[in-house]
Amino acid sequence: MRPHQVLLFIIAVMVCLGTLCFVLPERVTIGDKTLRWPTMAEVLGVETSAISSQLSEETENPVDTVIPEYRDTGIPEISKNPETPVDTVLPEAPKPQPVAQDVPKVNVDSTTDSRVYLAAFYSALGEAGTHKVRVLHYGDSQIEEDRMTQQIREKLQAHYGGSGAGLLPLAQTIPSRTVRQRLKMNGRTITPQQGPRRYIVYGPKRDQRKDGKYGVMGQVAMMNDSLVKGSEALTAICTPLDGRLRYEIMRVFADSSIACEQSGDTVRLNGRGAVYGLSQESSTGVIVDNIPMRGCLGLVFTKMDSAQLATFYREENVRLIIMQFGGNAIPFNETPSTIRSIVHGLREQVRTIKAYAPEASILFIGPSDMLQQTDGEWQTYPMIPYMDRLLRKMALEEHIAYFSLYQWMGGSGSMKRWQEVGLAGNDGIHFYRSGARKAGNAVAEWILSGTY
Amino acid sequence: MDFIRHILGFNADSPLLFTQFYFWAFFALVYALFALLMSIQPSAFSHQKLHLRNVYLLFVSWFFYYKTSGLFLLILAFVTLSDWLIAQRIQHSAFRNQKTAWLVLSVIIDLGLLAYFKYAYFFTNMVNDLFGTGFQVFDIFAYVGNGFAKAGRFSVDTIVLPVGISFFIFQVISYTADVYRGRIQPVKNILDFGFYVSFFPQLVAGPIVRAEEFIPQLYKPFRLSRRLFGVAVFWILNGLAKKIIMSDYLAVNIIDRVFDNPLLFSGFENLFALFAYSLQVYADFSGYTDIAIGVAMLMGFYLPMNFNSPYKSQSPQEFWRRWHMSLGRWLKTYLYIPLGGNRKIGFGTYFWLSLIAFVSAALTGWWWIVLVIGSLLLVIGVIDYQWKKSITNHQSPITNRQKLLYSNLNSFITQVLGGLWHGASWNFIIWGGINGIGMIVEKIWRKMNWHIRFASMTLLTFGLCATDYYTNLPAWRLFAVWAAIVWAGTAIRYVYWLITMDKKVNHQLSVINAKLGQAWAIIQTFTFITFTRLFFRSSSNLDPATANEVAWATAKNMVNQIGGAWNNAIIPEFLWEYRWVVAMFIAGMIIHWLPTNWKRRYRLWFSSMPLWLMVVAVCVAIVVIYQFVTADMQPFIYFQF
Repeated sequence: MRPHQVLLFIIAVMVCLGTLCFVLPERVTIGDKTLRWPTMAEVLGVETSAISSQLSEETENPVDTVIPEYRDTGIPEISKNPETPVDTVLPEAPKPQPVAQDVPKVNVDSTTDSRVYLAAFYSALGEAGTHKVRVLHYGDSQIEEDRMTQQIREKLQAHYGGSGAGLLPLAQTIPSRTVRQRLKMNGRTITPQQGPRRYIVYGPKRDQRKDGKYGVMGQVAMMNDSLVKGSEALTAICTPLDGRLRYEIMRVFADSSIACEQSGDTVRLNGRGAVYGLSQESSTGVIVDNIPMRGCLGLVFTKMDSAQLATFYREENVRLIIMQFGGNAIPFNETPSTIRSIVHGLREQVRTIKAYAPEASILFIGPSDMLQQTDGEWQTYPMIPYMDRLLRKMALEEHIAYFSLYQWMGGSGSMKRWQEVGLAGNDGIHFYRSGARKAGNAVAEWILSGTY
Repeated sequence: MDFIRHILGFNADSPLLFTQFYFWAFFALVYALFALLMSIQPSAFSHQKLHLRNVYLLFVSWFFYYKTSGLFLLILAFVTLSDWLIAQRIQHSAFRNQKTAWLVLSVIIDLGLLAYFKYAYFFTNMVNDLFGTGFQVFDIFAYVGNGFAKAGRFSVDTIVLPVGISFFIFQVISYTADVYRGRIQPVKNILDFGFYVSFFPQLVAGPIVRAEEFIPQLYKPFRLSRRLFGVAVFWILNGLAKKIIMSDYLAVNIIDRVFDNPLLFSGFENLFALFAYSLQVYADFSGYTDIAIGVAMLMGFYLPMNFNSPYKSQSPQEFWRRWHMSLGRWLKTYLYIPLGGNRKIGFGTYFWLSLIAFVSAALTGWWWIVLVIGSLLLVIGVIDYQWKKSITNHQSPITNRQKLLYSNLNSFITQVLGGLWHGASWNFIIWGGINGIGMIVEKIWRKMNWHIRFASMTLLTFGLCATDYYTNLPAWRLFAVWAAIVWAGTAIRYVYWLITMDKKVNHQLSVINAKLGQAWAIIQTFTFITFTRLFFRSSSNLDPATANEVAWATAKNMVNQIGGAWNNAIIPEFLWEYRWVVAMFIAGMIIHWLPTNWKRRYRLWFSSMPLWLMVVAVCVAIVVIYQFVTADMQPFIYFQF
């Protein structure tokens, strides 16, 4: 073949493909599959003006989006933070991301500093010198491995005293950054999966129990549950990985039928019944508990035994409950109505917790920015801004504090920037440890700066 | 104006990639002018015509590199100039020592640049770890650049890696070394040499073309048969499909998720992602070089084959002959053989092994490594001395035992340094080391007779199972399970061997046995290579110290999940929910394992199609591939709680 023939071939292919851009519709749906083909404008990369105008409408609307109270902990501070690597300077603002057109407007009161609803907690902190003040941090996979909680704990304990990592499950199915746990059964080291049967309120049906008695962590380990297994004598060894986490006492939350014996970082357990968790803590100061619930929407508190929760919240002087949920609603609920119903469900949960813990303040942390690949481009899920605003609205109406992780990150497309500077993973959903550290510090500083 | 700046200017966020429309538009324009140049008559000027073509493609390649890497084009131009000049000097030097001095200078410049741009962070971290210092990298080029341009234009705190530097540096080294060894004559015209160094299809990701393979093509007229044209189109489509369907789709929908957060997934999901990653790495890299080969062919240049269905290998050694073949050949020619190959061990062998031992010990704090390897080297030195003495006395050739020892030591070093070439962090060195050890073990295994094979495998399996039982750690469980599987295979083959040892075996039975043996070896090699991949992945968006930590944590967490968080109940759920991803993986492996002659047959069938039908086929293929670019993502589902 001669070069000009090859050129003709290339031109023929391009003309055919170009013709398809005009002939084929952008989307053809066959069954549950959608066939896509770009328009000529998309191919040439000139179709951005419409998107830009949509975005500017979103970001320039002061009523809907400006949340002034934690502007000063926002993105521009990142490079000044001593924990951030020197080269972690964020690039320029993200390209405009398309916003779903059919998302209804949510009018949110942006003038209220929602930290006014933490007043009870702030006054409880004044007693931390002589009493124990407990903070429970419930959340989804974003807080696994003690992510974010670790920074909140460090900052609160640095200001108000207190020590220890707080609540731990009996068997550490997910390793933590702060405490290493090992389990021995009848003297032999076992993996968490080989340990006692676990029931989890946020797991699939096969892992749930009917009586709702999961304890305050939403998970329970049943010792000697099966007669076949015979007698289990368990030893849990929980070693803090950081000197600052040295604790005063280690406690066991379990049925009275379980005999416990503690020495150093080791607890020996014997008997038959439920073990709800262990705790490394101090007798005064602030204790911050990390309670991750993988894949959870946050709609589980109404399924948990009310007496157990209420007793724990009262007896342990729980004065702040952080609920960090919403992210798991996003990938599966693409319509405003489903998001509305989930936020409605969350409102029920908030009310339930308020009823169980009338003394405690509640802080709701909304979902972070999350990305999905649409037509080959990583973009923010269209429902995130909507859900974020609905959650803030719900929080203000329920008189609880609200921290918008999404807005703090920088809004639509910010997760992409976080990925670029090594703060978040390739899945477009989860933070790396560095990102979690940054977000945890931001939340902690935001809480603390409200103490006036 | 902005549009022109966008088209012609450098933008780090939009490099010229084979998978983007912009590249193909660029290529079409380049080809249009190329076709025009090639149509210039008469043939009396054919020499000038070729020169014009080469100069044209050189400038196109430089533009391509500028679009991809900006001002790093100057680095490319610098090594082109320095190696061209040094090669001339080598040719004109009268004495061997002079030639050697020029060669050493060239290697120092080339490897110095590579070390500076690619390994500055790695070496700085290593020195800081070893001596407790707090050195920071300093970008001298940015500093100098700021002197010329507006101060502060370039950041001096970070060193950015120029795209493709590992490839073009190896190319220029091969050129200068080949001139030194008298394998090729130096290129007279620097523009021709520049073209060889920067030819755009292979500039960014190989294949690494050796001077003696490519430079003669510069002086040959354009030649592309009808069938070869079809083959070129096939390679391009094949590469695009591999890159977008097998690599990107699998990466986005399962692999990245699991590698980012192994703890969110069960043991089976981790294992599946690891195997899928093996396929992804292959599809990504080989897809890119397939496109490079096809694009170069359309311009009448023939690049060497870079991948030959590597997962069909029956041993780690064979794998390295089929995987990234151009790098393998480079390392063999310019590292393994100079170290002594299977003929000798010398200063280089002892030096590198000592250095590897020292640095490993210093960084892990396990000083016994130095003691063990030091003693081993001493023993090897004494044995080698005895062997050499006996050779001098009896004039006997090198024995097989010597060959085995020499080749194992030198190939181990080659693997470790080859690992470092792939990335500037410890996980790549570990990866290279594991590959080296795997290769040695397999070579020794093959030389064992069946009694010893079975006995040693039984002993090993028993030992690993006992260790697993005693420690109950996921890593040992993994070793124990794998050893048990290998033991079962060995036992069956051992029994077969015992039964048939003294008997005449039915021909059909022996063929079946041989085929089963091959399949078994392929699966074991694939599994081994897949597990080495635990250390092959590194996040490019992290600083090197964090990247090391993350790579190590990822490998550890994945092993813990695979060996510890196994839950059979969720396997069917996972397979069903991820059915498209699983289907893609299986399809990819089936295509990969198709017999070579089948692949050749459908390649020929495609390349012999009438042109109009080929246009239709290309369009259909691109429409299908585009569906994978825009496919809806697999929803994020948790199975493990």
